Amino acid sequence: MQPSSSVSTATTPLRRLALHSTTTCATHASAYGKCIVATYTDVQKDTCKAEFEKFGACLREAVCYVPFDLFFRKLSLFR
Amino acid sequence: MLTTRAVQRASRILRHSRYLASVSSSSINPTSVGPFQVFDRNVKRLQKDRAASHDGGERSRTVDYVRDEVAERMIERFLDIKRNFNSVLDLGSGAGHFSKLLETEQTQKVMMLDLSEHMLNRDQDTEFEVPVEREALDEEKLLESIPRNSQDAIVSCLSLHWVNDLPGVLVQIKEALKPDGVFMGALFGGDTLFELRTALQLAEVEREGGISPHISPMADPRDMSNLMGRAGFTLLTVDVDEVRIGYPSMWELLDDLRDMGESNAIIGRRHLIHRDTLAAASAIYKELHGEEDGTVPATFQVIYIIGWKPAPSQPLPLERGSGATNLKDVL
Repeated sequence: MQPSSSVSTATTPLRRLALHSTTTCATHASAYGKCIVATYTDVQKDTCKAEFEKFGACLREAVCYVPFDLFFRKLSLFR
Repeated sequence: MLTTRAVQRASRILRHSRYLASVSSSSINPTSVGPFQVFDRNVKRLQKDRAASHDGGERSRTVDYVRDEVAERMIERFLDIKRNFNSVLDLGSGAGHFSKLLETEQTQKVMMLDLSEHMLNRDQDTEFEVPVEREALDEEKLLESIPRNSQDAIVSCLSLHWVNDLPGVLVQIKEALKPDGVFMGALFGGDTLFELRTALQLAEVEREGGISPHISPMADPRDMSNLMGRAGFTLLTVDVDEVRIGYPSMWELLDDLRDMGESNAIIGRRHLIHRDTLAAASAIYKELHGEEDGTVPATFQVIYIIGWKPAPSQPLPLERGSGATNLKDVL
């Protein structure tokens, strides 16, 4: 069975995040994932901070990610 | 200074917050006495309605693959029952994934009930072999519109996992059946989507330092026979099966779940997942559960249950001590 593929048209910010986290930044994603898998029986906050920072920086560059981070911070002002 | 872009963004924020406000509306009082409330039924109805009306139902039809597969496996069990039914009640029918497969040799009429009216009316009658009736109804309030002792057979294909009071609904089903009536159901078991559950939990712990519910609690296969027995069914059959589906990545799985109307509806859930957490979960999903060919699997564990309403005509075990042949002589 083949599920539908819907990331091909990356129009919304979340679509772009989805696209770049699995393509452009796949190596950083993999490094981060490997770090978690290596310690997954005892994961704590920021166990893999260094790896995620690289992954996050790559995503920010690819998605133009900062404005949307701010967007969510602004959203919290409304609630 | 406000630029046009900033104004556009602000209006988008406002629209977004309105949307969230409408999603979070609920009439349930968490401190009320009664069966424990886990799911927000109102939100579930909205999610199903939206999923079914998106793109005129096209997106919803694309993601029928899990329900169609499980309906196929369930109809095999149903056709094994050598009996004719004047009418079958399909509880939580969705668009009729199971009812479409019923055959006129066995069933004269089917009545489809579902929480979501849009989902119920998504497909035309022409796709059904058996005449169909439809009614939008909350599964939790079955006995409010179905009389007791009125149904030959009740089936439920993948809807009971959103019911708050599962023992109560099973009792209602038994009450609605005629004596010697049969109930056949398929519902998602506790191992369903365990890959997504673990990936999100690990990502939330590592990024945010805590977890919140994203995947529903689901019935344990071992509990189902107890629940069925407690509801008063006899001649029980319970078996467990799995449907495993490969996805390109976690994101397609999330999209498809939403289009199925299976988004999170747990009371007290968070309405936002931080995108850092989502990106982290996607990376963890792939490393922890990914296949060698680059896809990620999602497991749907399905529990099939069959139970009969007791009737004097049913075969019963003999009295203790009434055996005429000693087993020692046979073995």
